[in-house]
Amino acid sequence: MIDRAEGWRRRAPLLPALVFTIIVTQIPFILTLFYSLQSWNLVRPGSQEFVWFANYVDVFTDSQFRQVAINTVVMTLGSVLIAVVLGLLLALLLNRQFVGRGVVRTLLITPFLITPVAAALLWRTVLLDPTLGLVNFVLSPFGASGTEWISQFPLASVMAALVWQWTPFMMLLLLAGLQSQPSDQLEAARVDGASAWSVFRELTLPHLRRFIELGVVLGTIYLVNTFDTVYMMTQGGPGVASANLPFYIYQRAFLGFDIGQSAAMGVVVVIITLIAASFALRLLFRSFSGEEELT
Amino acid sequence: MAITTDTPTDERASATDEGQTPRKQRRSAANVWFGVIAWVVGIAFFFPVFWMVLTSFKTEADAYTPTPKLFFQPTLEQYEGVFSSGLGPYIANSVAATVLSTIFVLLLGVPAAFALSLRPVKKTSDVLFFFISTKMLPVVAAIVPIYVVVNQIGMLDNIWTLIILYTGMNLPIAVWMMRSFFLEVPGELLEQASIDGAPLWRTLREIVLPIISPGIFATALICVIFAWNEFFFAVNLTAANAGTVPVFLVGFITSEGLYWAQLSAAATIAALPVVLAGWVAQNKLVQGLSFGAVK
Amino acid sequence: MAEVVFDEASRIYTPGAKPAVDRLSLTVADGDLVVLVGPSGSGKSTALRMLAGLEPIDAGSVRINGRDVVDVQPKDRDIAMVFQNYALYPSKTVAENMAFPLKMRGMEKEERGRRVRQAAEMLGLTEYLDRKPKALSGGQRQRVAMGRAIVREPQVFLMDEPLSNLDAKMRVQTRAQIAEMQNRLAVSTVYVTHDQVEAMTMGDKVAVLADGKLQQYATPPELYDRPANAFVAGFIGSPAMNLLELPRSSSGVTLGGIEIPLTREVTDAAGSRDKLTVGIRPEDWVLESTDADAASVVKAVVDVVEELGSESYLYAHLAEDTATTIVVRGPGRVKVRFGDPIAVRPTAEALHVFDVESGERLD
Repeated sequence: MIDRAEGWRRRAPLLPALVFTIIVTQIPFILTLFYSLQSWNLVRPGSQEFVWFANYVDVFTDSQFRQVAINTVVMTLGSVLIAVVLGLLLALLLNRQFVGRGVVRTLLITPFLITPVAAALLWRTVLLDPTLGLVNFVLSPFGASGTEWISQFPLASVMAALVWQWTPFMMLLLLAGLQSQPSDQLEAARVDGASAWSVFRELTLPHLRRFIELGVVLGTIYLVNTFDTVYMMTQGGPGVASANLPFYIYQRAFLGFDIGQSAAMGVVVVIITLIAASFALRLLFRSFSGEEELT
Repeated sequence: MAITTDTPTDERASATDEGQTPRKQRRSAANVWFGVIAWVVGIAFFFPVFWMVLTSFKTEADAYTPTPKLFFQPTLEQYEGVFSSGLGPYIANSVAATVLSTIFVLLLGVPAAFALSLRPVKKTSDVLFFFISTKMLPVVAAIVPIYVVVNQIGMLDNIWTLIILYTGMNLPIAVWMMRSFFLEVPGELLEQASIDGAPLWRTLREIVLPIISPGIFATALICVIFAWNEFFFAVNLTAANAGTVPVFLVGFITSEGLYWAQLSAAATIAALPVVLAGWVAQNKLVQGLSFGAVK
Repeated sequence: MAEVVFDEASRIYTPGAKPAVDRLSLTVADGDLVVLVGPSGSGKSTALRMLAGLEPIDAGSVRINGRDVVDVQPKDRDIAMVFQNYALYPSKTVAENMAFPLKMRGMEKEERGRRVRQAAEMLGLTEYLDRKPKALSGGQRQRVAMGRAIVREPQVFLMDEPLSNLDAKMRVQTRAQIAEMQNRLAVSTVYVTHDQVEAMTMGDKVAVLADGKLQQYATPPELYDRPANAFVAGFIGSPAMNLLELPRSSSGVTLGGIEIPLTREVTDAAGSRDKLTVGIRPEDWVLESTDADAASVVKAVVDVVEELGSESYLYAHLAEDTATTIVVRGPGRVKVRFGDPIAVRPTAEALHVFDVESGERLD
């Protein structure tokens, strides 16, 4: 039915974007694969040689890498899950009628919009500074003054900043979910005499499931790449206590100039991500193809 | 933990109705309390941002007190300080990278979204899957070869490098998002246009684009937000020449780490454009971040 | 003005599967309004879209004024279409919407304006010419869509359920307007609807479709009086014709213990079949007194009474065979209630008889 010429006429508008995306996003990954098989340090010119899987052996025997990998999982999933729970509570609040609802929503989404670098600065200085920070000032009546949040709890501090930034996104997503729930369902349940709690548990939560899944998947996609917050707040320290994979690879590549090693780590990250993604993508695609339930 | 489906008119009616039943009174009283809680939470989330802006109008002496100062003599000296320390060129770079990459995204993305929606090519879902999968792969795994290649072709610290990378970064999101807008155009309109004898480009320009222009505007704003806030590529691939505002902020903290008021002024400038864009686009924000899965 | 011919035209979405439109053949005479009617999935809209050029014609042909249009683009078929949701361009005003097809044909601005004003006057849209579709009511939008079709002065009008988005009162009003206008302009029109009342009131001829196949193509009275098969019999008329599967007797069929005689033509056509599908319209029952002779009336018990004012419909089940239900038209202010016994007798000359298996009319 669609003949060849028509096929090309239809494809033509797509091709520039497709070719561009392939070049910009796929070629680097192929090169990463290639570099990962080489020993190559930028500060030693001429050091480039083929070493097969030596870099991978190094990566897997690197105890710091393991620590960083665990940090990454904790940081990503921890922040996402806390943000989803807080976001759900906020969405339920905002789904009610009250004076100035639009203003409150605008206030709530602002942390999400703040440039992450600026947000990280804000947390490191104004909020968490041991002597002059607002957090210790607020907590001082409870005898917590002088806590050195960033050096004592580096991972938690970074996560606090991430949760502050991502809760608003989850709130918006789940609010869209709540508002897409047909009101006749809720009315029918009320007429049937269901309590508010059972309406929430039996109707709203199942309806929101798709949105919660979507929030977890999208939050993970975006947060697993966190770099700015770690870089600005803790520089991954002390030691590698708060370093995640993006920051660790950055350190190896741009502070250690070890191209082969960092490329190998990159490949490992991609493989881990692909495993997680093949699961997540299926979830996500189901959400996208089930659009009638989301709209 | 209650859900209500009251419409605004319901609620107002119950508040003004003289013959209120106790039940109604209790419900609206509950809503007042939820409103209060929402406001408190909203202000708490916003407070760090408010404090940042407030601090930016303080003198360093006012900013640097063990007991945070709410009232003080405002001053613009921090902003003058920030600009005199050479912020100008960084803003220019950020604007160039943001605006040009967004224009390229639209130029490539609008035709692609069209080819994946209204007159779909074969294997549309494969192409969509490819676009979304590029966002699943961690950027950090690609940074090493990107650095090496950019270095070899002499494009380090060149704004065009960022423009191309930001285009690649935002294009998949934009295609997904705009596709969801295209799909909302009723098929009948296109059929009517084909019976009326309008050629394709006129149909697009005169009929489809006016319908989806709000969606394209929202897509553009979201690309602006991402490009403006981007840090990882910027810090690794640029320096004094092509550095963007987040890069400037980093330089700021290492050299001026103790000057909170000036830092706050710089962070405020960095965050302001995106916060404004985000406020404008808040209804479409989720749609952009979730690749159009949620409307 | 034009004659439209469907000649064995088929639309096959997936090769091997059941065609959406199966070898449709019918001729729309010049100036006629032909209604394609059928339940959803019957292929009526697909047939219209094949004529418009919005669906390919996979086999057979469609001709407009003798010209085969299988390979002709929609814009070159000289047709105008009114869509179910009107398909008004939201960014254009009423006047621009109506002028758009003319503009695309390169007509001069003055002539465009003249035609648009003329059509607007005819449809009572003059004061809305500068409005956007958003600012119009459903009925006004519908008229704009009509106007956009009229200004084209096409060979054929195509209308795809143009009234289905209007409320009941508006629908009746607009129905009459369209029929009147079509008469005046005398442009051949193909009109799709699922509503048999629209079909019967508007069509010069009506084509009943089911499962992609043409069931009958005839004038409204002919469809009503001589349905070609059981499907048409059940589809046309409201409430629907009673279709009862009855055993043969010596000179007719038996129903509720009485014998109903059949005409000579029918008995000849029925041959040796031992069962027949007999159709009786609600108005073809005669209500008798309940103490009438038991050998000449069918006894039934009333389940529901629908009072319509000038007449009433009694839904009842047979006293002898409770699984068989019938609908009987009665006078207005009928006195029977739920549970009351009634006695009815079918008018012998008004029976429709069909084959049980194929549903084909026998006589």
